[in-house]
Amino acid sequence: MDKKNTIESIEKEAAVMRRHVIEMGYAAGGRGAHFGPALSSIEIVASLFFEIMNHNPLNPTMAERDRFIQSKGHACLSYYAALVETGYITKEQMYTFKGDGSFLSGHPSRNMKYGIEISSGSLGNGFAIACGMAKAAKIKKENHNVYCLVGDGECNEGIIWEAAMNGAKSKLDNLIAIVDRNGVQLAGKTIDIMDVDLEALWKAVGWEVLIVKEGNDTASILKALEKMKNSQSGKPHVIIANTTKGKGISFMEDSISWHARPLNKEDYEQAVSELENA
Amino acid sequence: MRKIPIERLQEWSKLGHRTVLGETLVMLGADYPEMVTVTADLTPTARLTGFKEAYPDRFYDVGIAEQNMIDFTAGLAVEGIRPFTVGLAAIVPMRPAEQMRVALGYMNLNATVIGIEAGVRFGPLGNTHYAMDDIAVVRAIPNFTIVSPSDPLQVHKALYAAAEYDGPIYMRLTGGPGFPIMYPDDFDFQIGKAIEYRKGSEVAFISNGALLAEAVAAADILQNKGISVRVIDMHTVKPLDTVMLDKVFAENKLIVTIEEHSPIGGLGGAVAEYKAGFTGTPKQVFASLGDKFQKLGDHAFLMKENRLTASGLAALAEENL
Repeated sequence: MDKKNTIESIEKEAAVMRRHVIEMGYAAGGRGAHFGPALSSIEIVASLFFEIMNHNPLNPTMAERDRFIQSKGHACLSYYAALVETGYITKEQMYTFKGDGSFLSGHPSRNMKYGIEISSGSLGNGFAIACGMAKAAKIKKENHNVYCLVGDGECNEGIIWEAAMNGAKSKLDNLIAIVDRNGVQLAGKTIDIMDVDLEALWKAVGWEVLIVKEGNDTASILKALEKMKNSQSGKPHVIIANTTKGKGISFMEDSISWHARPLNKEDYEQAVSELENA
Repeated sequence: MRKIPIERLQEWSKLGHRTVLGETLVMLGADYPEMVTVTADLTPTARLTGFKEAYPDRFYDVGIAEQNMIDFTAGLAVEGIRPFTVGLAAIVPMRPAEQMRVALGYMNLNATVIGIEAGVRFGPLGNTHYAMDDIAVVRAIPNFTIVSPSDPLQVHKALYAAAEYDGPIYMRLTGGPGFPIMYPDDFDFQIGKAIEYRKGSEVAFISNGALLAEAVAAADILQNKGISVRVIDMHTVKPLDTVMLDKVFAENKLIVTIEEHSPIGGLGGAVAEYKAGFTGTPKQVFASLGDKFQKLGDHAFLMKENRLTASGLAALAEENL
């Protein structure tokens, strides 16, 4: 497939994934869902699952698979949507999201049968575990990569920097972190909660840093992922992707209140209508 | 596992648990190619220099960052590597408690976290360096097994047992220089299976860690007064050996749980929680560090202050008979 077709194909998958996010979130009813942070990360996750990563839904424990760790586990709907679209999870299972007895909890729970590598969502820990997994690949002389999705608010956590320092020291060039910089965290805008220069911080701890100005533009994010995948810097890599919280649903975009909440019937219908007419 | 000659045991006894740990890790390194050692800037303190020199590619120092040390451990364990992760008992279960819970416990990973210098062994360093609550922290985490070995050979055997164990382990090490040898000969050690160190019908001392020596000496004192004392080495705090406890409940008149830990959440707490399900069981007395921060002093002073000595334990038992 040529580049243009690849991008178009990922964009199509991304559109389906957005719809899955809305469907799952609506199915959760009054239990609500983290819509904003899932929707901001769709193009990143879609690019990974539909182009960048080597993986096989028919063999989730394949040794040479690339690993995907969603450290910002509250955004699990983008992850689950990718698992549905790639065939790890059925559509029937998808609708059990947050339901009693379901394996699709509000933050990912390790379940290798369905391609969920680790339990994550206690912020900062998924990234630190991903660093350990990347080190394990080095120890075992395996050639796969570890891709880790991190939130910009999540970078408030001290363990991110503990792990980042150790990742640089360990020369984990098989690790590619992507910071989904959507600019909104639970209680407000990131610039109001903790205004930090992420680029400078990641550089200071010894990582190769790439900024993507349009993190919801598939061509841009794909190019950045390919560049980091092929980088010979010998350092661990981080892509800081500027995204839009709630991307794709007008009333969720840049919204603090749509970080996490239930979706009522009226809003659901509007969201579906917007996606169908996009 | 190799046989440890008595000369080596005597050396280990003289130098304390850190030396047993350091030397055993080197042996494990040879016997288990998939095992690695992780620490947070504690290499000389935890006697890890030998392992580092023998297996430089299997030794990882994450810097002074205990939370990351546990998650890094989890990342290795997820991928099938078997980490032995070493920190101070005063720092490690408490500071990264959440990592212990969500990474090692929740994912039920094969990893061993070792807390050295547990209890008040760090005497003059003060309360910031006392581990009086480490078992309490870990006991509340599902899937964790907790082992507190009672003598040098048992530390060695527990580490070997950990290398083949399924699920996360917290190993709490006590016993400094002068760590008494309670098992001079080879013996059967199984995680979760208590050892009846001495038979007796009236008092039952249930201890773990290096306090086993004081418990046995206290039993001698009572024995000389005609009081029959059973001594149980309950080296595994979780899961408790309830078969052994059932025997104690049926056959003894007074239980004294003995530990260098808070009375809350440790061995004493675990025994009491199990005992609560039965009627007609013996009274239980807690020999412990008490629910308090300690005075400053060396280890011997603090043991005496808390009546965790042979004479203190014997007196405590007599007062409650």
